[in-house]
Amino acid sequence: MRILFAGDEHPYSAQALKKVIELARHTWADVTLLSVLPAQASAQGEFLLPTQDLRVQALRRYREEFLENLGSSDSPYALERWGHEWIPLRNGIWEEIKVCRGVKKDVKVRIRSGNADTEILNEAEKDGSDLIVLGCGKGGQCGWESSAAAPRKVAGNAACSVLLAKEDKPIRRILACIDQISVSQESLEMINQLVTIHDAQLELIGLTHDGAAKSEAYTRLIQIGDYYSDKGIPVKTRLAELSKFEAVISTDTGQDLLAFWMGKKSLLTLLFPRDWVERFVGVCQSSVLVLR
Amino acid sequence: MTSDQKTTVLLLDDEPIVCKRLKPSLEKAGYDVEAFTKSREAMHRLTEKEFDIAITDLKMDGMDGMAFLTEVKKRHPATEVIVITGFATMETAKESYQKGVFDFVAKPFKLGEILEVVKKAEAKHRPS
Repeated sequence: MRILFAGDEHPYSAQALKKVIELARHTWADVTLLSVLPAQASAQGEFLLPTQDLRVQALRRYREEFLENLGSSDSPYALERWGHEWIPLRNGIWEEIKVCRGVKKDVKVRIRSGNADTEILNEAEKDGSDLIVLGCGKGGQCGWESSAAAPRKVAGNAACSVLLAKEDKPIRRILACIDQISVSQESLEMINQLVTIHDAQLELIGLTHDGAAKSEAYTRLIQIGDYYSDKGIPVKTRLAELSKFEAVISTDTGQDLLAFWMGKKSLLTLLFPRDWVERFVGVCQSSVLVLR
Repeated sequence: MTSDQKTTVLLLDDEPIVCKRLKPSLEKAGYDVEAFTKSREAMHRLTEKEFDIAITDLKMDGMDGMAFLTEVKKRHPATEVIVITGFATMETAKESYQKGVFDFVAKPFKLGEILEVVKKAEAKHRPS
């Protein structure tokens, strides 16, 4: 598994990092910690890293916190593998430097510059991320201080699953909502993993509209329930009417994680006609997992 | 073993969709792959052939992946074993390494990731 953590210097990013640490502790995933600085041009086309920038300093703290938690000698991230690597300085110039890597797994720390959501999505695509984790403000905007729309845009446009961590609470129950037929194997495995790591209960909710469930979606709900049951994961299933759904997700659901299988033909487009993924994650009070 | 012989891979996962996804990708990358969904059948095949690399799920009916890993290392210590699992925990990861696993990969993963791990296992198994 490859996890991309994208954060800035604010407390919501620090609390999202805790989710990443917990995931990495159990999955031994390859982790990238990323921050995005505003695009800047410098003389001769070289990007000069502003090391005093609060985001750069926060990234350092996040790496230190990650390794404090997971860098012990029996950890796959323990920095014990010394070697030399060639680092590009600028066009046609390389320097060989001594580096220390994790004994089995790496935690990479990267800075990109440009538009926050664009750069996060680019990094996820380039790195082959399976999960992007971001924090965001808990209010209706679900935004970042310096780039209000970034978390919502990442959730709406990522090719992989996205975990928007809105609160620092343990996850005791995963409410996984489905209203479409196509569900990827990767998304089933992601839920599986989160249930295992958090020892959480799993509840599948099939969304209906005006009392009628699409028969295929209902069949899929049962099939997914059987999938988890066959794996020994206790699962509850129920149907929920779309018109009452917004009221459910806009209240604080305590230690729940709301998970949604997202698709172009989702019933949720009826509730949120435009940019529905982005609006939807904004309305949810709890942390949200957008599954792909 | 000559250098132009393909690296052999045994793939064991009780979910047919996993084998269906991984086998062709590994074959396209040049590996000779035999896939199994039942650990008993995979174990029997191991009595007939030594594979360079074994990829195994952990949670399966019958012989689970941890027991399979133990048996593989007992019969063919040189075989590099890669564990793939949807039930990753710190404890299972540590136990796998204690039993000699080459790598521990939590699901979900992209094909590129598992191919990288297999290449590293191959490099260790057949150092040039």
